[in-house]
Amino acid sequence: MSDDPYAALGVSKTATQEEIRKAYKKIAKTSHPDLNPGDAGAAARFKAAAAANDLLKDPDKRARFDRGEIDASGQERPERKFYREYAEGPEATYHTSRGFEDFGDFSDVFSDLFGQRARARPAGGPGGETLRMRGQDAHYTLSVDFLEAARGATRRITMPDASVLDVKIPEGLADGQTIRLRGKGGPGYGGGPAGDALVTVTVAPHDSFRREGDDILCELPITLDEAVLGGKVETPTIDGRVALTIPKGASTGRVLRLRGKGVRRGTARGDQLVTLRIVAPPTIDPGLETFFEEWRKTHAYDPRKGVLP
Amino acid sequence: MTRIFSETEVVARVRGLTVTRLRAFVAADCVRPAEAEGRLAFAEADLARVQLLEDLVEDFDLDEDAAAMVVSLVDQIHGLRRALRRIGEAVADEHPEVRARITARITPR
Repeated sequence: MSDDPYAALGVSKTATQEEIRKAYKKIAKTSHPDLNPGDAGAAARFKAAAAANDLLKDPDKRARFDRGEIDASGQERPERKFYREYAEGPEATYHTSRGFEDFGDFSDVFSDLFGQRARARPAGGPGGETLRMRGQDAHYTLSVDFLEAARGATRRITMPDASVLDVKIPEGLADGQTIRLRGKGGPGYGGGPAGDALVTVTVAPHDSFRREGDDILCELPITLDEAVLGGKVETPTIDGRVALTIPKGASTGRVLRLRGKGVRRGTARGDQLVTLRIVAPPTIDPGLETFFEEWRKTHAYDPRKGVLP
Repeated sequence: MTRIFSETEVVARVRGLTVTRLRAFVAADCVRPAEAEGRLAFAEADLARVQLLEDLVEDFDLDEDAAAMVVSLVDQIHGLRRALRRIGEAVADEHPEVRARITARITPR
């Protein structure tokens, strides 16, 4: 029990009776052990405040205490037992474990364990044992660029405790995928193993490439003459440039497949799908214009057949 | 060795409590004393519970109905804590692998 009832209530020696009453009520409300069953310190705070209040609320006793005629301990209440000391004990009769019904599919699990059907726990069961627990998992997020995710990379991240962690980005990592780093999470309790670090990786979009599963998609602009005559043109892949053969007479929207130029996952590797797009020359010279005027007279074709109603 | 308290003894021990209020708590079924020879017999747990109800009325300025409601919520908390404690004990007794799996499942992603 505190020797200083003023300190127990957190008021000054010059506090008014009203301030004392308020301070006591505040502690009684916030520290009532039965309303804070998980707070081990609540009972001590509550009892000290109650004893202090008993002393200080009486102006006569307060004056005698202030003059040093009585001490704080003389005014203690008879030892009180709180309800929570009984509430979970073997003789507890009031607590209820009804109300698992709303747990849906799992309600059966709980009623089996704790409902009417549950058998009483044998006396002298576990309890008081030291808790041995695995540490918590730590969660991180990491943003990598498109090519790092496609080709694999190692990225260094700094943990909150300033330690550095190398995260290996596996080849073909997908956006939103989580990498688990065993034992890099919170420390274990009571000799338990450490938790894991879970790194959720977001993949930034790329200007020219998109990904669909293990395939890489891209669009390749070609000239009018390349479309007509065909030939080899350079196209980007995630590994660098390669020569792609454009067939004669290719149209915009035609998809060419580059086998094995996609994303590797395990032993398999996806393809790269190149969609052609014909780009007209920046200026139409008179020669080209004349040629097409002549050409149109004898080679008219209708690509809109079936498109127009 | 459980002590039994009579109605008068309970009123004497719980400061501020009146017989009327005690009977109201019993009538509302918030305290369920046993009956012996036609008289109410309060166990220690009943006494502590009456003290809690009285604290709620005095310190929190609750009326008797509100105090009874709070105590019924406290009962549910104790039920849940008991259930949680047993689950915790059961999990603690499990093989580390099982515990790791349960922890992983419970930890929010």
